Amino acid sequence: MSDQSEILWNQFEEERRQAASSKDAEALRVKYLGKKGPVSALLKNLGALPPDQRKAAGEAINRLKARLEESVEALMQEWSGREEEAKLKTDLPDPSLPGTALPLGTLHPVTQIGLEVAAIFVSMGFFLAEGPEAEDEYYNFEALNVPKHHPARDMQDTFYLENGQVLRTQTSPVQIRTMETIKPPFKMVALGKVYRRDSDITHSPMFSQMEGLVVGENVTMADLKGTLAAFAEKMFGKRLTRFRASYFPFTEPSAEMDVQCIFCEGKGCRVCKNTGWMEILGCGMVNPRVFEAVKYDPEKYTGFAFGMGIERMAMQRFGIHDIRLLFNSDVRFLRQF
Amino acid sequence: MKILLSWLRDYIDIQVPPQKIADALLMAGIEVEAIHEPGKHLRKVVVGQVLTRDKHPNADKLSLCTVDVGTGTPLQIVCGAPNHQAGDKVPTALVGAVLPSGFEIRVAKIRGVESSGMLCSKKELGISDDHSGLYILPPDAKVGEDIVKTLGMDDVTFEISVTPNRGDVLSHLGIARDLSALFNLPLHRNSLDEATGEDDVRALTSVTLDEPDLCPRYGARLVRDVEVGESPRWLKDRLEKVGIRSINSVVDITNYVMLDIGHPMHAFDFDRLAGHRIVVRRAAPGEKLQSLDAVHRTLDPSMLVIADAQKPVAIAGVMGGEETGVTTTTRNVLLEAACFDPVCIRKTAKTLGMMSDSSYRFERGTNIDNVPIALNLAARLIKDLAGGRPAAGLIDAFPAPPPLKRILLRTRRVARVLGIDLKPAQIETLLLRLKFEVTRNGEEIWVGVPPFRHDIDQEADLIEEVARLYGYEHIPVTLPALFSQPVLPTPLQKLVRRTRDYLVDQGFHEIISYSFIPASIPPILREGPPLPLKNPLSDEQAHLRTSLLWGMIDALTRNIFSDEYELRFFETGRVFQPDASGFTREADRLCLGCCGPANPVDWRHSREPFDLFRLKGLLSRIGALVPTDLEFARGTHPALHPARQFEVTMGNRRLGVVGQIHPQLRTNKKIPEDWFVAELDLTALAAAKPARRLMQPIPEFPAIRRDLAILLPKTGSYQAVRQIVQEAGGEILEKCTLFDIYEGKGIDPDRRSLALGLTFRAKDRTLKDEEIQPRVDAMVKKITERLQGKLRD
Ligand SMILES: [Zn+2]
Repeated sequence: MSDQSEILWNQFEEERRQAASSKDAEALRVKYLGKKGPVSALLKNLGALPPDQRKAAGEAINRLKARLEESVEALMQEWSGREEEAKLKTDLPDPSLPGTALPLGTLHPVTQIGLEVAAIFVSMGFFLAEGPEAEDEYYNFEALNVPKHHPARDMQDTFYLENGQVLRTQTSPVQIRTMETIKPPFKMVALGKVYRRDSDITHSPMFSQMEGLVVGENVTMADLKGTLAAFAEKMFGKRLTRFRASYFPFTEPSAEMDVQCIFCEGKGCRVCKNTGWMEILGCGMVNPRVFEAVKYDPEKYTGFAFGMGIERMAMQRFGIHDIRLLFNSDVRFLRQF
Repeated sequence: MKILLSWLRDYIDIQVPPQKIADALLMAGIEVEAIHEPGKHLRKVVVGQVLTRDKHPNADKLSLCTVDVGTGTPLQIVCGAPNHQAGDKVPTALVGAVLPSGFEIRVAKIRGVESSGMLCSKKELGISDDHSGLYILPPDAKVGEDIVKTLGMDDVTFEISVTPNRGDVLSHLGIARDLSALFNLPLHRNSLDEATGEDDVRALTSVTLDEPDLCPRYGARLVRDVEVGESPRWLKDRLEKVGIRSINSVVDITNYVMLDIGHPMHAFDFDRLAGHRIVVRRAAPGEKLQSLDAVHRTLDPSMLVIADAQKPVAIAGVMGGEETGVTTTTRNVLLEAACFDPVCIRKTAKTLGMMSDSSYRFERGTNIDNVPIALNLAARLIKDLAGGRPAAGLIDAFPAPPPLKRILLRTRRVARVLGIDLKPAQIETLLLRLKFEVTRNGEEIWVGVPPFRHDIDQEADLIEEVARLYGYEHIPVTLPALFSQPVLPTPLQKLVRRTRDYLVDQGFHEIISYSFIPASIPPILREGPPLPLKNPLSDEQAHLRTSLLWGMIDALTRNIFSDEYELRFFETGRVFQPDASGFTREADRLCLGCCGPANPVDWRHSREPFDLFRLKGLLSRIGALVPTDLEFARGTHPALHPARQFEVTMGNRRLGVVGQIHPQLRTNKKIPEDWFVAELDLTALAAAKPARRLMQPIPEFPAIRRDLAILLPKTGSYQAVRQIVQEAGGEILEKCTLFDIYEGKGIDPDRRSLALGLTFRAKDRTLKDEEIQPRVDAMVKKITERLQGKLRD
């Protein structure tokens, strides 16, 4: 490069570094590449050179021109890009202003837990069955091996209707109604309201239960334990479960399943009455008498059943101490969930 | 039921910690609700004898005592109590003792004098609240003995809750029997006296058993010349610790036998029995008896009574009569031990509203073999403790001793039900531990059921016994290997779920209200006659709801009274109505309730209130979930504002209502005027046949939009306008949108302006204006002619 070109370039570079806007870039372009600029002047002066130097000098000037053009263009783009972005960033919204969509409502805590429990069993292949809440005594008691005048009736204080029906005291009648309509093998759960004549801070005359029934040709108590332990793990996380003997007229053997207390991890606290365990559900192998009532062959089929209260699980989950809050429809309570 | 550890040890030599006993019982199905160990937190407190009591040199109200605690070196103790003197025996906490309050005893200087211990009141021992002075012990207390032992506080009480099937464990013997099986320990039976004595009882009295079905066995023993008085300390103690009040020695003994071996007994004042004899018969209609609780009872023939020659003297198995009861003046005692039919006892107790410890046990089944054992045990105790002379022998009316119940247990069945492979010999051993009689033949075991196990009736019951004793915790964990047919959610289940989700998205909170409604709800909220409960908890919960509206209006009202005015609630639930034959017909319904602004109150929106059309919109969207079109017409629901309500229908079926709540139900000024409810029959809606959806091709040609503003008389119907627009628009009318309604300034006051946006499009060509204009003209013409509308300029 000729000395002149070199000087010109260096001078341009110096000014380019000081450019601070697309306007400055444009000014640079006019200054160096305009008709009255140094490049034009150099080109005009070419004719004054001896012919043997003209070609080389001409090429040098054109190279300089190309370099300048490229550099100015880049500068132009850089600044106009920055300026456009700066323009977009004026009038900044306050990110702390609240958004204005319709606020969400809430599902009732009992519904939430019911759906959660149901989803676990449905994922294990259970289907959801339903039944009436006002039941014939037969479905609520006799078919479930609770004869009239049996002390087992004391386990559940029953509401009677004037028409002779009862408000179901458990979701177990849905077992009977299901077995009357379909043949094994199957796995079903039923979620619904049940009624007992009892009212205080831990008992409501109306509450919800989830009932389950599995019937097949080789269903064992080990299957019962496995299924319910799998449920407990999904519902309460990995923690100990235990099965202890109990009594329900419609299962034999009968059991209660406890889960290690979620509040004290088994050390004992007020919630678990210092036992370290929370009672979660009652269960057992279907009593052959129940199979007889629905005309299933008790020699061919075995099965297990279980039932759990949803309110109690909701109360544990959300730390609710008075069951009546669940049915008071107080918006200050409901909107917390 | 309370059980004493010391009493259990009459039968079983069990030395494991109380908590282990409780855990074992719990796992085996006998729930221990609490363990009381009163002496557990009392250590290093002994019986001390005050040797000297002097005034404290530096304090008027304190005394300085030397106390012998049996170590040879008397202690010097400063004491503030007023009630002791030299020679008294008092509980003395030694240095290092920790009292139940957590207070630790140390050597201390009190007003300049060293004190090495503390003399205790009842309160300080945690026995009672008595803090008036020191607990002065009886003079025979042994100096130096641990106070826990002296006061009998070393005993443990278990509070036990028994399931209704286990009548056999309602006694100390019963619990001990289960423990002997669980811990594999021998069960001791007390050797029992024969029924020996003077004069044959048969010559002195008789029992006539008229109702062997209701009373399969009735036994009696006579003890004469009894001195009825107070029971000895040990007997009172045991009864008190299990919560039974001591009455007199004979009554206490009958209670003791019941708690000991589980057999309820009764004692009659023999001299007050007319004819000195017993008749077991049904009550005559209207027969009366004053029972021991001093209540006059009227009996009926469904009840079994124990009578003398003339009158009932006890309600069999439930309660004795006042007149023939044993008092301190009684000389001759006739003891009764019997077995009664559980159902009869239960019915009688229920009818009379009187449950007793006796009826409770008879309902659950008693051991028929215990009749003579109970009689002999009680007779011996009376002789020993109240000095009577038993007559020889006993009267035992036992017409038909039942055969031993035998059940076949197939060991393969055990494996099939439990999922464990127990060897026949193992099963046999477990059953023997539970006192079953066992005859094994290879894989089959014939099991004889002892008469106290009324709950064992079938093979499954024996399998439970095997599992219970083997331990549920030892049963493995598997998952059922079964293929079950896929069963899909029902349309109703799907609809309920989607409806809930939709409404939550729309800002609604779900409520659950009771299925019960008060008997006194306003008649306009009744939808037909409700089903009444026979035994409601209160008048507030006397009927079953026929609609969800009352619960919703009640919920809105109560929230408004707590100053919450922005409410959006929904509920899905059952309603109950009598069918033609009086039985219950149930349906699932949805109810919405709201008041306050329809838009959230935020910095941008205006506070637009809820109105009828917002709710109509919500209901239409819920219909679209099916999908089906809901129709709306003027409604006549008495609980809703007569003008501002619509009836919701589908086809010809009425599905529900939506509207402003009738001003008559606005019981308080706090309640805003515009509060709304809607109710929809989800069962019927879910039964709708969903419209079949077939894909339409994506349009290829452009659309033309025309706006049309029509002035319509206010009485006119948009539906009619729409119908005309559709007719005249024909197949090229793609869409008609109502985008504005205006009334007021600049418009005839009898009219409103409807602005319609019409979209025309053809499937096969680009439409031209000339094609559309005649159709729009036709619309205007028909609207003018038929609906007295006109084009707005
Ligand atoms: Zn806990």
